[in-house]
Amino acid sequence: MFETKEMGKRFDAVVALNGASLKAYPGEIRALLGSNGSGKSTMIKILAGVYGPDSGEISVDGKVVSIGSGTASRQHGIATAFQELSLIPTMSVLDNLMLGSEPKGKFGMVDRAEARQKVQALLDRFGIDCDMDAYIQTLMPSTQTMLEVAKAVSQKPRLLLLDEVTAPLYHDEIQVLFRIVRELKADGVSIIYVTHRMSEIFELCDQVTIMRSGETVKEASTNEIDLDEIVFHMTGQYPEAHAEKEVAGDSGEPTGREVLLDVRNLAIFPSVWDVNMKAYKGEIIGIAGLQGQGQPEFIRSLLGAAQITGGSVQFDGKKLDFKSPVDAVNGGVGFVSGDRKREAVFPVRSISENISAGKIASGQLGAYMTGKFIKEFSSGAVEKYNIKIGRLENPASSLSGGNQQKLVIARWIAMNPTLLLLDDPTKGVDVHSRREIHKILQECAAGGMTVIISSSEYEELFGIADRIYVFFEGRVSDMLAGARKTDELLVAAMMGMTGQNKDGEAM
Amino acid sequence: MHNSAVLRPITNLFGKVSGFANRNPTRMAIILGLGLYAFTVFQVPGAFSVQAISTLFMMTLLLSFASAGQTMVLIGGGMDFTVGAVMSVAAMITTSIMRGEDGRFLQAFAVCMLLGAAVGFINGVCTTKVGLPALVVTLAIGNVVTRMSYLVTAGTPVGRVGPAFASSVIYRHFGFIPSLALYALILFPLVFYILYRSRFGRQLYLVGNNPEAARLCGINVNKIKTISYMISGMLSAFTGMLGVGMLQASRNQMFDAYAYQSLIAVVVGGTSFAGGVGTYGGTIAGSMVMVMLNNMLTALNLSQRVREITLGLVLVLILVMYNRRKGVRQ
Repeated sequence: MFETKEMGKRFDAVVALNGASLKAYPGEIRALLGSNGSGKSTMIKILAGVYGPDSGEISVDGKVVSIGSGTASRQHGIATAFQELSLIPTMSVLDNLMLGSEPKGKFGMVDRAEARQKVQALLDRFGIDCDMDAYIQTLMPSTQTMLEVAKAVSQKPRLLLLDEVTAPLYHDEIQVLFRIVRELKADGVSIIYVTHRMSEIFELCDQVTIMRSGETVKEASTNEIDLDEIVFHMTGQYPEAHAEKEVAGDSGEPTGREVLLDVRNLAIFPSVWDVNMKAYKGEIIGIAGLQGQGQPEFIRSLLGAAQITGGSVQFDGKKLDFKSPVDAVNGGVGFVSGDRKREAVFPVRSISENISAGKIASGQLGAYMTGKFIKEFSSGAVEKYNIKIGRLENPASSLSGGNQQKLVIARWIAMNPTLLLLDDPTKGVDVHSRREIHKILQECAAGGMTVIISSSEYEELFGIADRIYVFFEGRVSDMLAGARKTDELLVAAMMGMTGQNKDGEAM
Repeated sequence: MHNSAVLRPITNLFGKVSGFANRNPTRMAIILGLGLYAFTVFQVPGAFSVQAISTLFMMTLLLSFASAGQTMVLIGGGMDFTVGAVMSVAAMITTSIMRGEDGRFLQAFAVCMLLGAAVGFINGVCTTKVGLPALVVTLAIGNVVTRMSYLVTAGTPVGRVGPAFASSVIYRHFGFIPSLALYALILFPLVFYILYRSRFGRQLYLVGNNPEAARLCGINVNKIKTISYMISGMLSAFTGMLGVGMLQASRNQMFDAYAYQSLIAVVVGGTSFAGGVGTYGGTIAGSMVMVMLNNMLTALNLSQRVREITLGLVLVLILVMYNRRKGVRQ
């Protein structure tokens, strides 16, 4: 058996694991559950040899071992299928599956014929229909994931770690996967299965280990635990009973206001399948959900930065047809990214230039635009919204993260867009700055601006949003408004436990 | 090396100088340029004359024109190695169209501008749409331009510039102010306007600093970058015309060295390889440094090989000094 005890791991100031433990017995499928940031991915990565733990011990069959690298992990009989995939996109299926375990022929050369045979057998077993000489990057995401699992299984592990592998898979592929996992179980392999899909736990798993805030809070057999209890351990909240939910049918849509945005059956391959949403003028719409359920893609599609592959979007009475952010900005859309460093801040440019960036972006290229104009424009914005930031001529990199975020918000508010999109804007922002940002957004909405804000912290959305759309696997699993804005309902919807998605059915 | 007691004062000094150079690149470049000249005069007193200073002034102006577009391209996060090739070809076009007659200046001008814009456009498209590194793309395209010029001229360029055009470049007012300075009266304000007073210039700095953020802000990043290459191409072509006006007859690859010289002048002037930072004033000062350096190596009467080796070593030293600042994009 495999066991980890008292595991501790920090990333700078963030504590990912705080004394967590995990056991895996032979011939057992164990679900490892937890919400975002609970530490389950870190745990998996420690077992896979990606990270070394700061404290705690790992034992295999009662002997304490150290797993310092991916190779060491494999030598202990551990194989991992990563959520973010470990396949090399520019190599063929054949080479990827045989990487590191190529069959040797004469003179230590790779025996290609035997390799082809082995890979073909593996593809057949997994029911993967693809050319083994095709490059990984040319394959569908679901096929890539199946190959990732096949690669892990081909290493004949004693412990198989599956990190959220079903998310991109289709229904029949999931069935194949389940069949193989059960076969491995019969062969005495330990399997640790990470998932957000509650239905899969009861269908497949024998045991559950639940983590919260870097600690292991519950271990149980799936026979003796129910969904509500699992959710309680994951979140510290009991989900509300289904019956009560049906009663409250409040749509929460404001009356007497104009619709600004009408999204119908929106699809963005491969992350968003079917999203319906209405946003009225002057409304603040919240977008909630676990990480990677299609929220960033949805927001970017409204900005013309992600390609819409299905459905329709009406914006201000017309069909939304932004081919790039240039069109969107000219059409009155603003975008605040939570990924400040990569997508929002110009670190070496001055604070005033950063604030004026939206103004700089739109208009005639040859137009006269002095430093004085930029300074006046930005100081106007700073005064109007009482954004306290350093001297306007200092570079943006001189500011703290919270102030940099205010800077980016000021940039867009000063443009007075009709629609302001914010993608997790308060990530890593201190409480005080966060409150100020909320105040600013509320003022803007009161002035008629429509605000769509996505956040990974749902307390934030309760405070600020009129209505909350909850995303689960590329769909809206629930819309919460008025009295239905409760922790319990939100948690349930984030786990996909609502009428439409209760069965956790993938496409 | 840092532990050595002998070397420590030297590394400390280097660090201080380097720090100053990064904080005040323009001032540092002026000090460096004047220092080089003072050293030259100290070694070779004959290098100090009204005539010599006038010539140095002229060379500085010419290099600063050639480096103007390079400055913009670097600020936008790119690099333009076609400067030299475009200058050389523009020079050949100018002489072969003018053939000693000033009346054909406008024709030559129009063709050169078209050439510069076309090369710049190709540079822009290849770096932005195809996504190849600017260094590789522009080196390759510069090469193509050079080879094509051989094809067209069959190795021997013909013609001369018109006499009036030539004197508009080389005539010395009051005996020492080169007439070329009059072109600076048009070109400098134009470049300053584009960089500091136009929306294009503002966008260029943002694009160079963080292209992804610029794109999400609604800036057409590819367009801005392509325009910067086109401006660089046209300015290079015009500088090539002025250059041949100075020398009157053209030959193949006559200005090729300007590709490197302009790049170094721009970097010495404080423009960052990482993009988003830089001034044209700095580039003008950097051009002076390059001219003074070349002048020193010539005045010292070193053999061609020693000159080239020295030039190379000095340039490495300068680049090390100016690149101690960490890259902007982590």
